[in-house]
Amino acid sequence: MTAGAAAASRPVPARPGRWPAAGRLLRLELRHNAMLWLLPVAAALFWLTTYRKVMAMPPLWNLRALAMQPGALLAFVWPVAGAAAWAGSREGRRHTTDLVAIAARPRWVRLLAAWAATTCWAMVGYLGCVAVLYGVTARQAAWGGPLWWPAAVAAASLPALSALGFAAGTLVPGRFTAPLAAVGAFFALALSTQLIHGSQSYWQISPVVSGPWDAGSDPGVATFYPYLPDLPIAQVMFLAGLTVAVLGALALPGGRGGTWLRRPAAAITAAGLLAAGTAVALAGTGRLDAHGMIVIPALHDAASDRPVSYTPVCSHTRVPVCLNPAYAGYLPATVAALTPVLTEVAGLPGAPARVSQAAATYRQGAGNSVSIGLAGPAISGSPPVFRLLLLDQLPGPTMTTSALSAALRSSAGPAIVGDVIGGGRSPSPAQRAVIAGLLIAAGQPVHGPPPGSPPAGREPRMAPPVLAPGSPVYAAARRLAALPASARHAWLLRHLAALRAGRVALAQLP
Amino acid sequence: MTAGGGPGATAAAAGASRPPPVRPRPGRLRLVRLHAVSRRVPAAATAIAACAVGLRIALAAGSWDSYGALQLPLVFEAGAAAAIAITAASPLGEPERVAGRWLPFLRLATALALTVAAVAAMAAAGTGADLAGGALDVLRNVAGMTGLGLLCAAALGGGLAWIGPVGYLVAGAYALYTQWHGPALTTPWLWPARPPHDPGAAICAGLVFALGLAVITVRGARDPAGE
Repeated sequence: MTAGAAAASRPVPARPGRWPAAGRLLRLELRHNAMLWLLPVAAALFWLTTYRKVMAMPPLWNLRALAMQPGALLAFVWPVAGAAAWAGSREGRRHTTDLVAIAARPRWVRLLAAWAATTCWAMVGYLGCVAVLYGVTARQAAWGGPLWWPAAVAAASLPALSALGFAAGTLVPGRFTAPLAAVGAFFALALSTQLIHGSQSYWQISPVVSGPWDAGSDPGVATFYPYLPDLPIAQVMFLAGLTVAVLGALALPGGRGGTWLRRPAAAITAAGLLAAGTAVALAGTGRLDAHGMIVIPALHDAASDRPVSYTPVCSHTRVPVCLNPAYAGYLPATVAALTPVLTEVAGLPGAPARVSQAAATYRQGAGNSVSIGLAGPAISGSPPVFRLLLLDQLPGPTMTTSALSAALRSSAGPAIVGDVIGGGRSPSPAQRAVIAGLLIAAGQPVHGPPPGSPPAGREPRMAPPVLAPGSPVYAAARRLAALPASARHAWLLRHLAALRAGRVALAQLP
Repeated sequence: MTAGGGPGATAAAAGASRPPPVRPRPGRLRLVRLHAVSRRVPAAATAIAACAVGLRIALAAGSWDSYGALQLPLVFEAGAAAAIAITAASPLGEPERVAGRWLPFLRLATALALTVAAVAAMAAAGTGADLAGGALDVLRNVAGMTGLGLLCAAALGGGLAWIGPVGYLVAGAYALYTQWHGPALTTPWLWPARPPHDPGAAICAGLVFALGLAVITVRGARDPAGE
């Protein structure tokens, strides 16, 4: 009986060789880590705040990856910081500091094991969420491949947040430390962007920043030109430096068996702070480039300025409409929207022989405002090519196919006709009447923008004409539109040169 | 000194070493005080006060844009709710449950008193400043998130009760964000995104608070002793 009891109370000898001591410690920490219990909550929040939103966007890698970065980060920031603080405050909370101080391992090693366990679980959860999102996007995207830098920035944030939370828990062990760290981390990350003013802000180092701040989700970025990793490199450098510095600082208080660690820990902390400080300084040298991304001169690779080569997808219509393959899904709607207008002007001198999607050009305005538009004339080259800026290339809410089609009809349609007829921004009454007549013949309203058209200012150059019913210009436009298509075309062929020169009066219209 | 002095001096020395007489305290008041101390109510009250001061400073200091102005109070309200929920944790565990006849009432009183204090502190912090939603919003949000925290305390333990309010903070802040960038989340269960006078949101927040209060009153937090 006594022997049996003694055998039962004897500790089970550790199996040598299977796991090294540090591995066994990590395994123990992994089994008892609070982050494991927070993963379902983080995953649910990722679904609510990021997955739903991203999946509602068009299946463009640039759009979805750039939107995923801040969303995933805000879903994971609080559980990681909170769980790490909870793990870091464990010894103080349970009053076991003296008890574990006599353990064979230095204090720093024990702390690192607890931090690593929290970070491992956070990383598992995050990578799982990213894998699902990228996997679904890979099945839907027509062109291009995943952007890994946005995922890497968010991934690099987790060890840093974990280290900060852990350090808070170690320094101030208590029940209130974990929620304070969780709320504080969310507050700092979510509202730090309030301090960003322009593309040269140091605050762009915040990992929630994935592009020009306040420009919103912008599908036009990283499609025609490569994704620039300048800012992500600086962010990863900052986060890695911060992680190293905080973890190094954990060893500075020393303790039993940790005295020999102080000097290298101080060096590690200093190196981490140096890296983080350098990254912040680099972020402050950033500027918005013409392709919508942040360029940091010291980190910039000039090869990234070359446009991405691609084979456009084109319609087999009389006037081909060609789009970037990433936008292949929009081709039927674009063709349907533009064909009536292209038919009206086909064969006229200066009429586009082809419509080709062009890249948007970005310019930094005051504060965080960014002006986005088409650089150069809409029609250029010989034979003439109409350079089209799809409205879904511009920042703003994602449009449905029917809304995009309606918006294209009311924006690109008038632009095509206006470029052929001439007159620029101040056409003569005859030019206005002909433009309106051709649009009416193509089935477009000229009383104002139809429902579903883009908000004013999104692409001001393509504003549709607005004519008051009953006005002489409107009456002339109706007369022209009422003509048979062949008669209208023949009159235009004869008079287009004079019309473009402004030598045709309103009364001379048929 | 004793030899040279008389009996009076000896008595004076003995009197100096004796602990000062404790004024008899009513039993119930002592029970309330001990319960409050064991639940770290003073620390929670300090945390609530800190949240209110933080909100006041943030409202006074920054020119917040539309997102920030709406999300800012929610952050501090979640902090206060988390602090209240943490007080559900018992350091004594099972023995206290067996012996404490008044325990359910003490738990109810603690949660209610701290919630009232948090609402009052937050509303006071917003007085004279541009507090989005006003006092009614504060009442609804603090009560609802406290209810979530109390439910978490019953399910996960008092130490991890903060998961409810802080997790809900992210969901609520996102729901506010969708008011600008649709599709908007309009369910009343995400009450921070609803107007202050919205009855559906108030009912949802009230239900969660009542449920959390009932569960914590009857069952208490799920806590291992020694945590």
